[in-house]
Amino acid sequence: MLKLTTRLLRTAACALGLWGAAAQADTITFWVNAPMVPNAQAPLYDEIRAFEAQTGHKVNLQAIPFQELEKRLFVALGGGSGPDVMAIDNAWLAAYADAGVLADLTDRTRSVASQYQPGPLASGRFQGRLYALPWYTNNVALFVNNDMLKAAGFSAPPKNWTEFRAVAKAMRGLGADKYGLAMGAGRFGVFQMTSFVWQNGGELVDDAGQVRVGEPAVAETFQLFTDMYRVDKSIPDTVLTAQSWDEVFAPFLQSRAGMLISGDWTIGTIKRVSPNLNYSIVPLPAGKRAATVIGGFNLAVNAKTKSPAAADLVLFLTGPRSVEAMRKADRLSAHMTATTAEAIAKLPETQRPFMSQAAAGRARPSIAIWAEVHSSILSPAWDASVRGLVTPQAAVQKAASEIAAKMK
Amino acid sequence: MSSPLSPERKGRMPWSAVFETGRGERLYPYLMVLPAFILVMAVVVYPVISGIVSGFQDLTLRTLSRGQVTFIGTRNFERVWADPVFWTALRNTAWWEGANVVAQMLLGLMLALMLNRPVRARSWLRAGILLPWVVPSVVAVLTWRWMYDPTVGIVNELLVRVGVLKDYFPFLGDVGTSLWAVTVESIWKGTPFVMLLLLAALQMIPRSVMEAAAMDGAHGWRLLFFVVLPQIRLAFAIALILTLILTVNNFNAIWLMTAGGPLNSSETLFTLAYRYGFERMNLGMASALATLLFVFLVAVTTVYLYLIRMREEA
Repeated sequence: MLKLTTRLLRTAACALGLWGAAAQADTITFWVNAPMVPNAQAPLYDEIRAFEAQTGHKVNLQAIPFQELEKRLFVALGGGSGPDVMAIDNAWLAAYADAGVLADLTDRTRSVASQYQPGPLASGRFQGRLYALPWYTNNVALFVNNDMLKAAGFSAPPKNWTEFRAVAKAMRGLGADKYGLAMGAGRFGVFQMTSFVWQNGGELVDDAGQVRVGEPAVAETFQLFTDMYRVDKSIPDTVLTAQSWDEVFAPFLQSRAGMLISGDWTIGTIKRVSPNLNYSIVPLPAGKRAATVIGGFNLAVNAKTKSPAAADLVLFLTGPRSVEAMRKADRLSAHMTATTAEAIAKLPETQRPFMSQAAAGRARPSIAIWAEVHSSILSPAWDASVRGLVTPQAAVQKAASEIAAKMK
Repeated sequence: MSSPLSPERKGRMPWSAVFETGRGERLYPYLMVLPAFILVMAVVVYPVISGIVSGFQDLTLRTLSRGQVTFIGTRNFERVWADPVFWTALRNTAWWEGANVVAQMLLGLMLALMLNRPVRARSWLRAGILLPWVVPSVVAVLTWRWMYDPTVGIVNELLVRVGVLKDYFPFLGDVGTSLWAVTVESIWKGTPFVMLLLLAALQMIPRSVMEAAAMDGAHGWRLLFFVVLPQIRLAFAIALILTLILTVNNFNAIWLMTAGGPLNSSETLFTLAYRYGFERMNLGMASALATLLFVFLVAVTTVYLYLIRMREEA
């Protein structure tokens, strides 16, 4: 029956045009998230041509829409097929590594591992082994509407949690339709709060695999944002409904919310939708310690690849060349040389705050069921807390026991 | 029996002549349907059987890639039943089905009766009413999502202006209204199809029947209940069954508007199966739930096919 099921998934993979990808040893099939190749002039094409010229291997580059990528990888890899090399969101990595569909790159990358920024590199690890190298990284910072900040009576963005809440409250006072912070529902809200949990000295699931979601540091973070919505009314009602980044951004783009916790992917949207918005990007208001959640994509190799050069492509694209290539692509390289003062100075002004706080970047917990924990346990906990259906303490304690039960 | 063709003619026969006599002639019709048969087996029967079998296996990305898929009997079904979200989804599905079917049938009938009369600008009205049906479902759903927006949505603006609401309300973000809000979109989208089916049936009622009823003094509700509805009962039943099937399969509306939330308040069996499959990466549980849905749909489709046969015989 296993064969039958595998054949079924292969049939599905065929229907999606995914089969046969890993079959030709002389051609490396490479799946990327479509935003990395928005047009024919995308810097990635130059990188691929350089790799082909240097190694003599061919690369078959396939762009997959971001929303489809996870599902397609699931279908293809589950059917024993899929690409030789794949771009993979660092939040998904543990699940695929646990399933055994990714090649273990630990030995192959031992000599170069120290050349990557520690936070992004950690996002490629699962149970002590390295399954992917960081291709580009991002983290979250605070976007501030300069006009609203000034109108609220502040000369500088908030530097700590107390100021953060005070600024948000003052912005709420600017008008009936003015708010302090644009925030998302469910998993978007949880993502936005994750950095604050760490800043507050908390953990979700620590490196030893202990579930710590129920601890006071997490509850206090939930309490802060719940109070900002329910008590201060400084977060608009989109916190109950926003289920895409566009919806999360909307109040900030429309100058109805003065602050937004987000990453560099927001910049393109602002340029496109609100090019005249007067805003700054600053480090997150500090808690007990510096922390910002790391996003971005890693490059991994299919465990069933027949291409001996697949890992070479990963090393080539994530190596020192990535600093310049990612700068051209409006992304941040995860290579260590990208953090030098000289490299940061070359970045566009809007990207610099993200790179300057890269050292405080932390990857999300490396557990196989993270996607489920995020979507089906932490998201409902936040949704219940922000609606006042349960106290923040009760929400996180229930979530902690659910996660612990799942991890057993 | 000797061939009617002369040896000379046989020598000049095309290769296809082998299908004109004997065994070739008997095989011929089977060969003609063979490609379609293979196609249906490959893209319908095989996936369905495989899906049902998967419901009885420990089938996750992990077990699949490691070759550790095992038969686990009914454990997936037991896990599904033990999941409290399943019972919420079941209740929501029943509500979702009931509300959609009742509203679409009633509204569809009302619109069909209205358009069956010689009203002014009938063709314009007909085109306007059909518009929701021809709009791609994703476009419709996303449009409604923005219309419901709790800060700038036009639905809120209208309800505030007419005095129904004092302030804007997060229809999709409230556990008490999310399923209602999605249902309204689904009714808006599905009603024109029902109207179209019923209008076609109304136009098939012989004029003599209506005239005879009028001469016997049947008007208004009596005419509707004792003459019109009995005449279109078969089309009505078919429309009802089709609405049931289309509603249970209407994944787009719920997933794109609320993703089953908030707090599972609009979770249906379909969205839950998707969640099992692509969030938990547990194809076994997803298949078990899909099998339950499949059984329900087979039962409903059987009734549909029976009604179609009745209509043809009539």
